Amino acid sequence: MAGPGLRFDKVSVRLGGTEILSNVSFDVAPSSIHCITGPNGGGKTTLMRALLGQVPFDGTITMEGPAKPVIGYAPQSLDIDRNLPFTVEDVLAVMLQRRPAFMGRSASLKRHQDALLARLGLGAKARRLFGHLSGGERQRLLFAQALLPAPDVLLIDEATANMDEDVVRLIEEMVRELSASGVTVLWINHDAAQVNRMADRVTEIARKVLSDRAANASRVLEPSA
Amino acid sequence: MTDLYGFIRSLFEGMANAGLLPNVFHFQFVGNAVIAALVIGPLLGMLGSMVVIKRMAFFSQAIGNAALTGVSIGVLIGESNSSTYVSTFAFCFVFGLVLRYAQQRTSLSNDVLIGVFLSISLAIGASLLLFVSARTNTHVLENILFGSILTVGPRDLDILLGVALVAFVFGGVFYNRIILASFSPSLAEARGVPVRAVEYVFVILITLVTVACVKIVGAVLVEALLVIPAAASRNISRSLRGFVGWGVVFATLSCLVGIVAPMHYNIPVPSGGAIILVAAALFLATTLLRNVHPAFRSAA
Repeated sequence: MAGPGLRFDKVSVRLGGTEILSNVSFDVAPSSIHCITGPNGGGKTTLMRALLGQVPFDGTITMEGPAKPVIGYAPQSLDIDRNLPFTVEDVLAVMLQRRPAFMGRSASLKRHQDALLARLGLGAKARRLFGHLSGGERQRLLFAQALLPAPDVLLIDEATANMDEDVVRLIEEMVRELSASGVTVLWINHDAAQVNRMADRVTEIARKVLSDRAANASRVLEPSA
Repeated sequence: MTDLYGFIRSLFEGMANAGLLPNVFHFQFVGNAVIAALVIGPLLGMLGSMVVIKRMAFFSQAIGNAALTGVSIGVLIGESNSSTYVSTFAFCFVFGLVLRYAQQRTSLSNDVLIGVFLSISLAIGASLLLFVSARTNTHVLENILFGSILTVGPRDLDILLGVALVAFVFGGVFYNRIILASFSPSLAEARGVPVRAVEYVFVILITLVTVACVKIVGAVLVEALLVIPAAASRNISRSLRGFVGWGVVFATLSCLVGIVAPMHYNIPVPSGGAIILVAAALFLATTLLRNVHPAFRSAA
């Protein structure tokens, strides 16, 4: 089933007297992989925050599809004091279950989480402290949580910046699988090569839309490394 | 509820008669204070973990100081010296909510803004104390500042139990959401957490518990009982479950020993001071343990 399409129509964001985004308009096709590129400070993350309802904006952002689409969001980082005793399981429990995380994981979380962590190479690190993970491992964890529960729309903010090449390929393969299964993917991405490999469409933003084009390269499903 | 308190106190007395508990458990006020400690300890242990995770220790300090002002207002408007709950709850709620509202609408850092509010509240409280001291004796003020187990009666226990019930229910229901909102507001929004609303829930929980604990621990020291047991727990914990669990144990132990030991050994210190000194000793012990014992070095 196709995921929802997204429509950004004349979206403007002004924070503290500074215009961060000005009349940004573009469409994200259902079940596509749509990359947003542009310079640092150009408003890419702000656009995503507007989509999530975190910053006030003018204009409209609409999702066309299921009445209540499930949104998965993989942020760049978490603001966790690395000296706090949060294990990988604890972090996931905080994000994914209603039962207080200090009372342990719920049965349904255990069922879904273990296979996903194993696929992302974190299976043996479920009880490791979050603060002891490498930057790449933390990003894998953030990517994993975005897939629980199964999303209709996946928002990715620079998910593969600190990962080694094998893991990048794995993430790319998983994103392709998700898109093929109907998930709409909106991906903030600075890696031009990765954008060429992955994107159906690319929108470049620097306060306003600089370009909105179909990607150069056609996507080819590749076996994982 | 008075019957329940009486039943628990009679159990304490029976155990004291059998030599299982110190003789001070024959005193009714010690029994009341111990009942209060058994409620406060787990409550502050759970909320303390939130305060440390959210780096909001300074905020809870500000609420404690606001309680002092609230008590002063209560005495001025004619509430009983020993039971100024209406004015204290009201002032602390207004103070906490306005502070939180201002935090969300300013570019000032949290510590600066809380420092400003804390100073304003303390200045109002100090000014009002001048008028209050003319209407009451200084022991009442000491009790407010540093806590006193002598003044804990059935009504205080009723209020404490009510607050504990509300705080456990809402603290449990919102625990993950409050923490997730501090980890990543964007991620919390994506997961359907109303970030601003849960921040206000947190403020209300801290305010409720702070005011309810003022009688035992004192307005000046209640924040310390939120932070020190959690800090001690962090020294030896390797998971969130351990962090909260040890926090509950340390907070409860601090309250019990801080209440009973000065009575048993006839040491003339206020209950709040004794409780915090016990908590501080536990913090030092766990810090030492962490530094000398290999098993704890890899704790967070």
